Amino acid sequence: MKADIKGGAAFGYLDLALEPGESVTTESDAMSSMAAELDMEPKVNGSLVSAFFRKFLGGETFFVSRFSNNTQETKRLTLVQPTPGEIRCVDLNQGSICLQPGAFLAATDGVTLGLKWAGLASFIGREGLFKLEVSGTGKLWYGAYGALLEREVDGELIVDTSHLVAYDPSMKLKVQLAGGIFSSFFGGEGLVTRVEGKGKVVIQSRSISGLTGWVNPKLY
Amino acid sequence: MQIELIHRPGNTAAKIQLDQGESCTAESGAMIAMSGNMDITTTTHKKQSGGLLKAVKRMMAGESLFLNHFEPKAGAGEVWLGATLAGDMMTYDLDQESLIVQSGSFLACESSVEVDLGWQGFKSFLSGESVFWLNLRGSGNVLLNSFGAIYPVEVNGEYIVDTGHIVAFNESLDFSLTKVGGSWLKSFLGGEGIVCKFKGRGTVWCQSHNPTSFGSAMSSDLKARKV
Repeated sequence: MKADIKGGAAFGYLDLALEPGESVTTESDAMSSMAAELDMEPKVNGSLVSAFFRKFLGGETFFVSRFSNNTQETKRLTLVQPTPGEIRCVDLNQGSICLQPGAFLAATDGVTLGLKWAGLASFIGREGLFKLEVSGTGKLWYGAYGALLEREVDGELIVDTSHLVAYDPSMKLKVQLAGGIFSSFFGGEGLVTRVEGKGKVVIQSRSISGLTGWVNPKLY
Repeated sequence: MQIELIHRPGNTAAKIQLDQGESCTAESGAMIAMSGNMDITTTTHKKQSGGLLKAVKRMMAGESLFLNHFEPKAGAGEVWLGATLAGDMMTYDLDQESLIVQSGSFLACESSVEVDLGWQGFKSFLSGESVFWLNLRGSGNVLLNSFGAIYPVEVNGEYIVDTGHIVAFNESLDFSLTKVGGSWLKSFLGGEGIVCKFKGRGTVWCQSHNPTSFGSAMSSDLKARKV
């Protein structure tokens, strides 16, 4: 499978060339365009129970789509996220990564989407009550709103709420005030998420709640 | 008329250079800056032709009732155009042919190009695209904008594009509404719903991002509009 991430950090989209017999699992409604000969099969996202929880508590969709190429030629498939931003590819090799709701874009066969309890702290931090743990062997594509920043953390990192995209499963999340009571609420930071442990953390440069917070006062 | 695109693809602006005697037609509200000698005429129709009926039709296509015509007086001049949504732009040189454009994607064209309403049939009601399409006909340069990056797809046979991702396509292509995955149930469960299938030979230009999807990503956080 040839995969190209195009459009840069501003408008990333994923161009896949599916070889005969290959297939890819994508987030629901991620298809932007595709060869008419490709087959699409909606799949329940994990088990029925976890799909249910994922939809109603994790901010993910109940179904994911599986595109397969059952022809004899290479076929093109273009995938995209609803928000303009960067897309990254991770090569999972028996490894795993935690993704925030909405960050998952696509994965090859051999990668499984699991659901884990993220805790009340994550919910208060507007990161969802459950977290998506992606594990297995294969390629995973994820993306976010804005550009992605990567940080190696050993100890702790404080991230503004709703900016967290992906992190190592061994890491723990805590929600706290950004500073004192005064600076937290008047400094515009409010609550922040504290990521503790050792591993990689990926942050998005923008957030939807930041945008809507800016748009809301302008609506009349 | 020369068009130069700058700051692609994130925040594209177009610089249009007009020689004396040349003029261009742009969507109303698209101008960001222009030379002092530029003459603007606002009409409801193409210069020296057309009429109110076409303008009303254009308004129904989600475009403005008015078009602005830029013409430099005494010497050359330039106009800068920008689009409302962040994204890329493209130019296309029409050569006695017509291009079907999703109505929100039209930005400007040379005054030799006819801007008319293309009716794609009742299927457009369901497609999630605007009901009417613009039909750009004649010869000359055309400037289009998009939400996100633009990528062309050469169609030879059949190709599926999700609704909301179409910028423009050649007249030689025929489009119909269809489903993905062989059944309507699968298509809706898969989140794709109705998609557009292009048939024939030609190019369809797609925009990488879907304004409606971005809007619905925001919608849960937006406050209700006061009536």
